[in-house]
Amino acid sequence: MAGVSSKEVIAGARSKFDPTALLRLPMVIPCLLIVILLILGETASPGFASPGQIVKLLTLAALLGTVAAGQNLVILGGREGIDLSVGAIISFGAVIAGNIMQGANSMVAPALLGAAGAGLGIGILNGIGVTILRIPPLVMTLGMLGVVQGALVAMTRGIPSGNAAPALSDFITQPVLAGIPGILFVWIGVGFFMAWLLSRTAFGYRIYAIGTNERAARLSGVSVWRMRIGLFGLSGFFAGLTSVFVLGYTGNSFIGVGDQYMLPSIIAVVLGGTPLSGGQGSYTGTMAGAFLLVILQSILITLQMEEFGRQIVFGVTLLVLMLFYGRQLRLRV
Amino acid sequence: MGVLEVKGVDKHFGAVVALESADLEVKRGEVHVLIGSNGSGKSTLCKIIAGSVIPDAGEIRIGGTVTAINGPQDAARAGIGVFYQELSLVPQLSVEENLFLAALPRRGPGLVDRAAMRRRAEALVELFAGVTGDGFTLDALIQDLRSDQRQIVEVLKVLATDARIIIFDEPTSSLDKRQVTVFFNLVRELRDKGRAIIFISHRMDEIFEIGDRVTVLRDGLSVECLRIAETDQDALVQHMVGSRIAPVSAGPHQVRNDYDDTLLAVENLCGNRLDGVSFELRRGEILGFGGLHGQGQSLALRILFGAEPTTDGKIRLTGSSRRPSKPADAIRKGLAYLSGDRNRDGVLLTRSILENLVAADLTKHRRFFLSPRSLIRKITPFVNRLKMRFSGFAAPISSLSGGNQQKAVIGRWLTIQPNILLMDDPTKGIDLHSKTDLYQIMRELVAEGVSIILYSSEDAELLGVADRILVFNGGRIVQQLEGGQMTAFNLYQAAYGVTA
Amino acid sequence: MTRGAGISAFSAFFRRVDLARRPYLPAIAVTLLLFSLNGFLQPKTLRPVAIAADISTYLPMILLAVGQTYVVLASDIDLSVGGIISLVNVVTVSVMTALGGSHGAIMAGILVGMLVGIVCGAFNGFCVAVLRFQPIVSTFASGIVFAGIALWVLPQAGLAAPDAYWETYGDNLIGIPFVLWILAAMAVTVALIAKLVFSRSLLAVGGNIQSAYQSGLPVPGLRISAFILCGLFSAIAALCLIGDTASGDPLLGAKMTLGSVAAVVLGGTALSGGRGNPLGSIFGAVILGLIGSVVFFAGVPFEYQNLVQGLIVLAALAGGVTIARR
Repeated sequence: MAGVSSKEVIAGARSKFDPTALLRLPMVIPCLLIVILLILGETASPGFASPGQIVKLLTLAALLGTVAAGQNLVILGGREGIDLSVGAIISFGAVIAGNIMQGANSMVAPALLGAAGAGLGIGILNGIGVTILRIPPLVMTLGMLGVVQGALVAMTRGIPSGNAAPALSDFITQPVLAGIPGILFVWIGVGFFMAWLLSRTAFGYRIYAIGTNERAARLSGVSVWRMRIGLFGLSGFFAGLTSVFVLGYTGNSFIGVGDQYMLPSIIAVVLGGTPLSGGQGSYTGTMAGAFLLVILQSILITLQMEEFGRQIVFGVTLLVLMLFYGRQLRLRV
Repeated sequence: MGVLEVKGVDKHFGAVVALESADLEVKRGEVHVLIGSNGSGKSTLCKIIAGSVIPDAGEIRIGGTVTAINGPQDAARAGIGVFYQELSLVPQLSVEENLFLAALPRRGPGLVDRAAMRRRAEALVELFAGVTGDGFTLDALIQDLRSDQRQIVEVLKVLATDARIIIFDEPTSSLDKRQVTVFFNLVRELRDKGRAIIFISHRMDEIFEIGDRVTVLRDGLSVECLRIAETDQDALVQHMVGSRIAPVSAGPHQVRNDYDDTLLAVENLCGNRLDGVSFELRRGEILGFGGLHGQGQSLALRILFGAEPTTDGKIRLTGSSRRPSKPADAIRKGLAYLSGDRNRDGVLLTRSILENLVAADLTKHRRFFLSPRSLIRKITPFVNRLKMRFSGFAAPISSLSGGNQQKAVIGRWLTIQPNILLMDDPTKGIDLHSKTDLYQIMRELVAEGVSIILYSSEDAELLGVADRILVFNGGRIVQQLEGGQMTAFNLYQAAYGVTA
Repeated sequence: MTRGAGISAFSAFFRRVDLARRPYLPAIAVTLLLFSLNGFLQPKTLRPVAIAADISTYLPMILLAVGQTYVVLASDIDLSVGGIISLVNVVTVSVMTALGGSHGAIMAGILVGMLVGIVCGAFNGFCVAVLRFQPIVSTFASGIVFAGIALWVLPQAGLAAPDAYWETYGDNLIGIPFVLWILAAMAVTVALIAKLVFSRSLLAVGGNIQSAYQSGLPVPGLRISAFILCGLFSAIAALCLIGDTASGDPLLGAKMTLGSVAAVVLGGTALSGGRGNPLGSIFGAVILGLIGSVVFFAGVPFEYQNLVQGLIVLAALAGGVTIARR
């Protein structure tokens, strides 16, 4: 169902057959870029694109991709949906999970429940603020970000604590089957879940409906406010889930471990073909977007550029990518 | 020679041909009407003259000189003023501020001359004195005004520009009869002062009342240019459509006598601007809502559907004790609501045709898991019935023409097989062929026992299709017209609150 | 008085006050409230010296919030302001020290700094208005670039600004603190800008961009101008920060970006554009500062301060949005 944005085709094309329309299909550009970057990386530093390295990159992408799944849902729902609190939720969840686990394998499941549950709760609060109090999502999640960070400081007094259980760390970082770490299977599972949710459930159809035309959706009987609370709840849930994975990846948490995920989660969604206005796009695109971002960051580190160089190139690359994505319609038509 | 000449203009939007080779010649001191069905290119032609669309080919001459118009500012400089069908107002600013959006009176570099602005604004608003209705002041915010009031602001905005060539694209669609009278007097004054006026309207009676000459567009070509005085309505329709078609109304159809039960009883319904409406709806009848704009017809329909709150009154549906509290509730109780503003209320523009068609069905059957294939199987018979032209269920609905899009929205409501279909001015802006198809579907539905409440702003349509008409005025029903009483005269009379 | 009568009197009051036209009034009310509360908790803060010190601290955020307001009014957003601050900060200090630290060098540094702000703003405006990038992602990316360039110019914090600079900044001019002069100059500038056609046109762009375009307004130019103003105000904020911290620091601006957005909303400006006023954002920024102060002086335990502050800000944001909606 997620095809070419027809508005773009009708509004932008000048000739009858338009090859650039092909390029706008959600998956094509990220995949092309991934291939190009991998080649670049391999050239600059042999071994960059070796299977082992790619697995490592995919692991990082899985972390970003999981939180981006929730972000994707919120953005798809339209009405300037966005969740700026996901980074803080990851930091928060990591501390909660770490403290529940305290390095014990038996406590992994409760830790997962605790962190994901906390994320879900925070997400629902976001949703309530956005729907019932009618606070714009940017503002609401921005405020929630501050509250969650404050709660984190209050809880930990600035001193991080808690440890990941070895089973968790192994699952995330060590191969489980055919040399592939468990986390990648989880990510694939997330991918299937999202694809199923968005194309085989009424909930998914309704997400696209409210993201495209909220009034029409309402007149078709969709309960818009319940949907939005659900979307923000899911975003928090996925962030909470990610926090446990991040904990497993890093071993123990440090304050602010999640901050670096917030804006990249948004970028991954946009690069994957979901415009910030919502209503179109798919999670597979977001997965590609997440992988792309991770490769990009990794190449910059590999090229052994100084920090400033990495930053400049990263920012410039994003701007260049924007030429293909997230361009708004002309004023003319 | 005309003050405005357009020759051989050509415009494509992707694969869609909006204009193939359009010509237009407008003289000073005339009201030149542009007519054609939807998709004939009228609006595109006007947008090209106004500068918001750039043509692919062709030339525009103003006063004999070839003029390049590459944007609204060029058009403004060339002395062209435009009234837009899609309103071009800023909701958060006031009437006064919107009037001078493009041409703020200045005092010194970059500073605003508020006194001069006020004076000019007052003079402009004075032109419509007495017909604007409550709440229309210079400081009122656009977002607080009704649609007819906003349309008046749009008209005044054009007048504020002192343009010598003025384009009015459907300027009366939201205005009531008194406002239209004032407006036409203004237009005649402008014409007499030597302005060139291009006028687009779907209403034949207006065209013959105000127009001097008419150019007919069909499929992007200029087909004819005639003097109004030398032609008649049927001839114009024939030029537009290109072949003889049956007139809109084929007389009221017979109410089936074997359907006798009452499906809906409304008692003293009160709402925001509704003042005690009571009526009954029998099975298998088309009940018309008539009267001037904004008298409560749309509001009543939306209240019935649960889309608007109500302060008092009882609604009794057979088979259910309480009135619908929200659209989902109404849908499950057998109601359907079709809005005339399909872009705002109906179409999910960037989604597929399938998604658009099943939107209400998902609600009615409380579905959670979906299988596109079984959904398609379910809705195919309804789609066939609608005679929709489309390439496939997965195609985006934006690939359909306006009329077919509206058919898809109708399809959405047909698939839930409602008992009562609420139609809120459903044929606004739709081409003739699709309208005729729609009337046919309505007749079929009614024969199957579905009841329809139809609000239409087009009197001819209402008189031709409805079995009974309830005329609204000031939020109440002032007259019921049936059988031989249903004439245009009675309708207009009742619409002005004159009870028989 | 029955509840119904009470409610209608309440809304009648609001209608008369006409919040649509003066969206900054709640912000002013809250500021006065917080200020009194602050003074009550710690009377020493009411002393002129303390007030001057507070203004000195709040000034960068105030300037940032005002600049951000212009962009938000046009229904865009600038997430690069933190990066602009970092860049202007290091460039200015570098220029001043490179030229010897004399009065002339200081003036040159200031001019170059402002120029950098303008160029950054123009770049943002170009990306958003001409290339039609989405503002959130575009300004986020450019912010990264600006901060990166800042790191390149000055890899390590700690380059000292010339003495004359920060001494003048903290000193009095004709008996009145220098920072108050800056504040006054800014207020006058903001008032002047409000009188220009530009301001009204900006509101139109933010209110309904299609309408503004069809009415013949130079929409791209207006949006770019808003970004340039934002860049300029960010630059001046950076100059004030130099006066405060007396050194160059490439990581200075990072936290201020989100704060500027919060300040704008607290001041009654709608993020969707078309409604609001830079005057409100001034108070919004002050409110942010005062909240921190109140929380501190109220004796909230150290580890809870951030949380309480966050909750108050969230409540204030919710309140600000609800009232602006009336």
